[in-house]
Amino acid sequence: MPEPLSTSIIHIDALRLVLSTCLVLVAGLVSVSFRLDMEKRLAVAAVRTVVQLLLIGVLLRTIFQLDNLWVILGLATVMAAIAGRAAVGRLSLKTEGLQGFTFVTLIVCGLATTLFVTKIVVGAHPWYKPQYLIPILGMILGNSLTGLSLCMDSLMKAFVQRREEIETELALGATAWEAARPAIREAVRKGMVPIINSMTVVGLVSIPGMMTGQILSGTDPFEAVKYQIVVMFMLAASVSLSSMGISSLMFRKFFNARHQLRDLPVRKGE
Amino acid sequence: MNLALSVENLSVSAGEKALLKGLTFGLSLGERIGLEGPSGCGKTTLLRTVCGLCDPTEGTILLHGKTAEETGWPSFRRKLVFVAQQPRLFPGTVRENLEKPFTYKHASSSMPMEFIEEMLHTFGLSAETLDADTAKLSQGEKQRIGLIRALSLEPDVLLLDEPTSALDPETVTEVEEVLRRKGEHSGLAALVVSHDPEQIRRLCNRRISLVNYATGRLADA
Repeated sequence: MPEPLSTSIIHIDALRLVLSTCLVLVAGLVSVSFRLDMEKRLAVAAVRTVVQLLLIGVLLRTIFQLDNLWVILGLATVMAAIAGRAAVGRLSLKTEGLQGFTFVTLIVCGLATTLFVTKIVVGAHPWYKPQYLIPILGMILGNSLTGLSLCMDSLMKAFVQRREEIETELALGATAWEAARPAIREAVRKGMVPIINSMTVVGLVSIPGMMTGQILSGTDPFEAVKYQIVVMFMLAASVSLSSMGISSLMFRKFFNARHQLRDLPVRKGE
Repeated sequence: MNLALSVENLSVSAGEKALLKGLTFGLSLGERIGLEGPSGCGKTTLLRTVCGLCDPTEGTILLHGKTAEETGWPSFRRKLVFVAQQPRLFPGTVRENLEKPFTYKHASSSMPMEFIEEMLHTFGLSAETLDADTAKLSQGEKQRIGLIRALSLEPDVLLLDEPTSALDPETVTEVEEVLRRKGEHSGLAALVVSHDPEQIRRLCNRRISLVNYATGRLADA
């Protein structure tokens, strides 16, 4: 076991922050020289980055100071609602009620995995200590959102575009679950592919953001690695749980007790 | 008379559009009824409703005196098999397609290989067809495999939507003969939708014109 490194954090003051804007100017120069006509969008994006991050900084600092369970749960609810909305926004086919499903799935699977990690794996006290809970939940929601939208997109396409195939199975005496199973299996697999791919190349192709952040803030790299292993495993759990959860909810929405595939109104996504 | 299927006061619609109203008939064991009517009058919707793939707006459907609720929907559909005009075959081989219904929870028997080989031969398909990829089959071959798949389940009633539309006259004769034979020997009954009045005359014991039960535009006509 290597000895922990003695490291310390270099604080970024306002002047250094201003200096970093030179980097955005580089992107702006590229846009100008290639006539990409993206300078305005880039400027708006840069301002949004600063404002949004400063606001979240203020909010997190306040929440860390309050250290109140209800405030933290309130923030978790808002985060899950935003993530749920974003997941539905990515779908190519939509139907009513999906936003509620993504919200319920993310809040249940996200909080369950977060609780396991903070209380049992990390051993934070109390389990809702915002320093641990908020970043962990954020990572879980961000990754589950991707898995969820891939899984839902696959299921929507199957239940709408492969209707004949599913109804053929029903007509031959399959139960609703038997008829839907191939589509559900494929959807859950699609949802899980990104996280499995990430787990396969982590540390080889990229150093994950959280680990980079920990190292930059002075944490011993080996300690950061251990956290990253926990993170990758918790993401695998949350993505697979939420893909399974959303599939189950969508199955109940699209099939009725008479083992029929319901003909729900569907609209195309933007 | 032993009724295999009873349809009582049935009304069906496609989406918001009402298609049929107050349809009542009985289908005896071994009997075949031809369903006639112009395109869009609700023939296919009626077959889909009878096997419970969609709900009637009103009415009762009984198979041997029992509703699907009493029998259980998957078991009900297994005894009352719907074969679409262009039967959907699943990706994979023909053998996998024929095996699939026997892997379901409500399957009570295993795949009758001998019967399937006999049917392949009768319908002009070689035994090698079993290992063929379904994506490479012609429409006619798909239609024959769809029929064999349905017949192998030994249903009490077949709901056939234009069952021979993609077949040559020789195979049409064979299919009709098999249906007649199964009717005589096993009591297999069938509701047959066909645009060919001659086929209905040859194959069916009686016919029902759905125009008489149509609502709205068709009734006015």
